[in-house]
Amino acid sequence: MTARQFVFPQAGDDLATLAARELPDLADAAQQLLSWNLHLAARRSTGLLPSDVVFTEPPPAR
Amino acid sequence: MLDLVIRNGFIVDGSGLPGRNGDVSIKGGKVVSVGGRAGEAQRVIDATGRVVAPGFIDPHTHYDAQLCFDPYAFPAIEHGVTTVVPGNCSLSLAPLRIDQRDSFSRMFRLIEEMPEAAFDAGVDWRWGEGFGGWLDALEQNIALNVAPLVGHSVLRMYVMGPEAQSRAADAAEIRAMADLLRVCLDAGAVGLSTSFVDIDEHYRPVPSRWAAPAELDALSAVLGERDAVLQIVHEFYDTELTIARIEHLAELSLRHGITTTLSPLFHTNGNNTGVQRVMAAVEAARARGAAVWPQVQTRPIDISFTLEQRSLMLLTMPAWWKVASIRDHAEKLAAVAAGRDALVAEMNAMSRRPNGGLGAGGFVVREVVHARNNDLIGRNIDDIARERGTSHGDTVVDLALDEDLGTWFIRASIGHDNSPVVGDLLAHPFVHVGASDGGAHVGSFSTFGDTGYLFSEFVRGTKSLSLEAAVKKITLDPASIWGLKGRGLLAAGNAADVVVFDADHIGRGPEIASNDFPGEGVRWIRRQEGVDSVVVNGEVTWSADAGYAPEARAGVIATRD
Repeated sequence: MTARQFVFPQAGDDLATLAARELPDLADAAQQLLSWNLHLAARRSTGLLPSDVVFTEPPPAR
Repeated sequence: MLDLVIRNGFIVDGSGLPGRNGDVSIKGGKVVSVGGRAGEAQRVIDATGRVVAPGFIDPHTHYDAQLCFDPYAFPAIEHGVTTVVPGNCSLSLAPLRIDQRDSFSRMFRLIEEMPEAAFDAGVDWRWGEGFGGWLDALEQNIALNVAPLVGHSVLRMYVMGPEAQSRAADAAEIRAMADLLRVCLDAGAVGLSTSFVDIDEHYRPVPSRWAAPAELDALSAVLGERDAVLQIVHEFYDTELTIARIEHLAELSLRHGITTTLSPLFHTNGNNTGVQRVMAAVEAARARGAAVWPQVQTRPIDISFTLEQRSLMLLTMPAWWKVASIRDHAEKLAAVAAGRDALVAEMNAMSRRPNGGLGAGGFVVREVVHARNNDLIGRNIDDIARERGTSHGDTVVDLALDEDLGTWFIRASIGHDNSPVVGDLLAHPFVHVGASDGGAHVGSFSTFGDTGYLFSEFVRGTKSLSLEAAVKKITLDPASIWGLKGRGLLAAGNAADVVVFDADHIGRGPEIASNDFPGEGVRWIRRQEGVDSVVVNGEVTWSADAGYAPEARAGVIATRD
């Protein structure tokens, strides 16, 4: 059992920069990333925290 | 002559091995012999027909504040608890600068649900700023042992000031935190606690959540130097995030040779596979050689609340939270009347949440102020609302106003109440029994009696654990995980922390309201059932016959190996 692939934000990251780095070939990468990280969508006013887990792949099928 | 002999008991020594009959003898605060027939002693406890076990260790508590004004952490000791680990979830009372006390106190009171009046009246900050000073002050007046964690949030506050809650630390600040952590560990901290979930009274993430992974890595390296423990409170409501945290903990454990623990891990019927997946991740971490211990509490989740004080139940409802935060009663009443529409709407919205079940309709009237409402006790809001033809929100507000806001409601069995499943989880060799939250959430539920419940529900009830296995889970296991030197096992030379109990009757009493804290406010407690005597470092600190020994202060700061 391994976790879904995830990263931590780097200094100065917001979701757009992180998405551009992690998903460079994906259109609307930031929106896609947000849809995979609903824990971040729920508190968008705070922005990314340095300790946030950001999943870079979709949730497993149920 | 010996100081104390516990005569003719059934000795369950904490090792997990089968119990055996015999005596336990004590002198100078240490165990002298275990088994056989001991010699004469100044005091003898007849344990015929009773279990004699090591004192229980509670690894997840927030007694930091309560211990400042209550050396017994009442009523923890009477349940057999002789050692507690406070300072969890990134919050400890030290190290903290004088000008940070107010902001820290607000954070602690909110997150740990400690009534403001009790905190302010009971915490006198007599130790100054440093961690060692706090431990020195504590050790002068404690009746049970304390194995304290230092909080990551306070380390950040001490080093970074207000910016601890707005940015990542730079390299110099990380070095300063690492140095400060060394000082705290050398003073007696058993480890570091951090939080990935908590917020302050302004809904801002607590300081530890602003730490980049490099910071936690540097602090973990210090823990590795001192063979200390890392505790985290993770996103326990989300399986995927929990598994990610476990993977991160495993990396830290392997890189720095540290023991890590995450708390809490709950089971809910709505997510049956979640716990299985989390435990699979723990097993995978174990297979790699990492020490990652999920903490699992024994009790089901029930939350009580009233509009008289803030509660976890109201945290996600801003209008209710605002009203409950008002201290002046007349002002609060006026706010309920003026804000009725918003309060009703929030409560009704809760009832419409897809996974909310009955939502607010599931709240049960627990206690009423007026005798004319006695017939409502035990009925849920949905039932009362149907009878009255009102919405859930209107029903709650009507009742609260009718009772001058004094009504108590309870939402019972929110989760973690499937005993066969929870029992199997508790019995898992990689599960650390804990997460009581002792000393916290005092107005929402009782954090006392989890140890008794382990025996009543999971030894006698579901039979998920043998008596010996259950004792080991709350004695030698936590002592080993936390590296508590000479505790958790009844053996010659070890600390004489002992509990004598009736295996057929040990349990937890009913949850009752108590007004015993300083200042106003109610807290929920449970008294012991089936415990006969509790000995802390050789001193009989509580007994069923005599209650709490008024001068008993044998507690110490429990040291690591």
